[in-house]
Amino acid sequence: MSAGHPEAAAAFLNDSERAAWHDQALWFVRQRRDRATDLPEWEALRDRAAELKAYAMANLAGLLEAFETRATASGVTVHWARDAKEHNRIVFDLLRQRSATRVAKSKSMLTEECQLNPYLAARGIEVVDTDLGERIVQLAGEAPSHIVLPAIHWKKEEVGTLFHTHFGTPADESSPDALAAAAREHLREVLLHADAAITGANAMVAGTGGVVICTNEGNADLGMHSAPIHIVSVGIEKIVATLDDLGVLLRVLARSATGQPITAYTTHITAPRPGAEMHVVLVDNGRSARLADPEFRSALHCIRCGACLNTCPVYRRSGGHSYQYSIAGPIGAILAPAVDLDAHRALPFASTLCGSCKDVCPVRIDIPVQLLAWRGRIASANALPKGYAAIFARLGGIVADRTRFESAGRWARRALRFLPPALLAGRWNPWTRAGRELPLAPAQSFREWARREGRVE
Amino acid sequence: MIARAEILAAIRAAEVPPAPTPAPVPDAADAADLLQQFRSTLESVGGASAVCEPMQVFEEVVYTLLGPGRHAVVVLPGRFAVAENGAVYVDADDLTNRADVVLATELVLVVPTGAIVATMHEAVRRLPAGSRCGWFLSGPSKTADIEQALVIGAQGAKTLLVVFRD
Repeated sequence: MSAGHPEAAAAFLNDSERAAWHDQALWFVRQRRDRATDLPEWEALRDRAAELKAYAMANLAGLLEAFETRATASGVTVHWARDAKEHNRIVFDLLRQRSATRVAKSKSMLTEECQLNPYLAARGIEVVDTDLGERIVQLAGEAPSHIVLPAIHWKKEEVGTLFHTHFGTPADESSPDALAAAAREHLREVLLHADAAITGANAMVAGTGGVVICTNEGNADLGMHSAPIHIVSVGIEKIVATLDDLGVLLRVLARSATGQPITAYTTHITAPRPGAEMHVVLVDNGRSARLADPEFRSALHCIRCGACLNTCPVYRRSGGHSYQYSIAGPIGAILAPAVDLDAHRALPFASTLCGSCKDVCPVRIDIPVQLLAWRGRIASANALPKGYAAIFARLGGIVADRTRFESAGRWARRALRFLPPALLAGRWNPWTRAGRELPLAPAQSFREWARREGRVE
Repeated sequence: MIARAEILAAIRAAEVPPAPTPAPVPDAADAADLLQQFRSTLESVGGASAVCEPMQVFEEVVYTLLGPGRHAVVVLPGRFAVAENGAVYVDADDLTNRADVVLATELVLVVPTGAIVATMHEAVRRLPAGSRCGWFLSGPSKTADIEQALVIGAQGAKTLLVVFRD
């Protein structure tokens, strides 16, 4: 196993200036979200969004069948894939049968999860990611570091250097307007001449057989309405029952994601255009297994808005790549262990359980409770990250015994009050090493105070 | 078909307890000034709008919005507007080519005067039954993928105007 999250996060924090910049960039998005969600009915909308997802999960099989029936009736071919391998093979077969060699793909976290690009590349098919942020990381040979803002970790000067190499923009060009204009020329060319278009989906509507795709750039629409074949890769949990449900979802999605009232393009498509083909690949890849686990079931409600990433103090200060999973941040930390407990066992510990993710989640997923539950599962499986078991055993012995706990507290308060700061803030102390100051310790604990006041025994 | 059967069987075997059918969301109660709300919201997402009065010439209204210079506008019909997010619903049945909504660099959407709903709850109920493809278009295409700097005109329209006309 490669270095885990703590090691990768420490490496990210080594460049403290960059880490602070990353933190601020995401906090800026979080603040935009706060302004956009300042609606009198916001909390009621979140309740309604949570209800519609719970309803969809409770009726998943029937809704998927209804979707399939309607989509098929309007000329869409529906495929089912049990896992990533099956998904990739279905997509490859569709492309190969049509001799497609150049594919324009718009944003899809599912194809990241399935590692579709390398699979197709190994078989001679070039996939161009057409979302600007995704194109940046693709050209750089990286994975997206954020589910909505794939290149949030890139500075404009670095994009300038990258585009100079690939698109011949002037070497010192770093204005976002000029760089986006160069990307527009390149990507429109790709999108208008691709042999096939692959998109993700933000939702499927059982009641209409429609697929709903949201973008700000318009890249998904350029691809799917130009190419002779449009393939939609979508997870089975993305279904909603009715257009009413879709209306609720569309009201919370962009507001939570980027602070916009809605994305610039919201496409509801139920049928291919005349003379073209449309395929929908419904992917399970572990989702039905997660559905069977009451403790983690509601993680399937996620609509991939990214609000929990933007608000998370750990994500903001450790960067998306430190999670080493296609979905980073708090939601990634509860999804990844279900995929591979051993590889991702450090992720549920990458949280202070502050609960900010839960507060912003538009579908009210109780992420902190699931993080805690994963910690329990990891401990039960004897898979605690290195060093944790010993610390927990010692700490557990202290907090489970009142006498030892109170005595430890007394010693700690004394140490903080009377030991020389130079000693306390030595290199040995990870708290101060990260540039933080130690708290001022009170002379007595709350319990000691209460006892003196005669409030408790 | 093995995959389909296996996935559906696994979902049914998960035995998710029943969940109540979500109640329909009521329409917005107060009829505030929806036109004003729509116009200011559209402006905030980078678009612009005008109302073409019965005595006005449509082309003049459009060119006043666009300002001086050479223009290559594409005019498409919109069915209705959504006040809360500045979006206009366009249905593929009204177009000759679906790609027109993204190919146009300067896009003008013509919406019947008064065809404005307050929120997406009402908007989704107005989708034409059996629609094969349709869009909510809210302002020009945009990206903030380079250092969160907003750039108007990512890959689709660089300009998006909405004109209300009878």
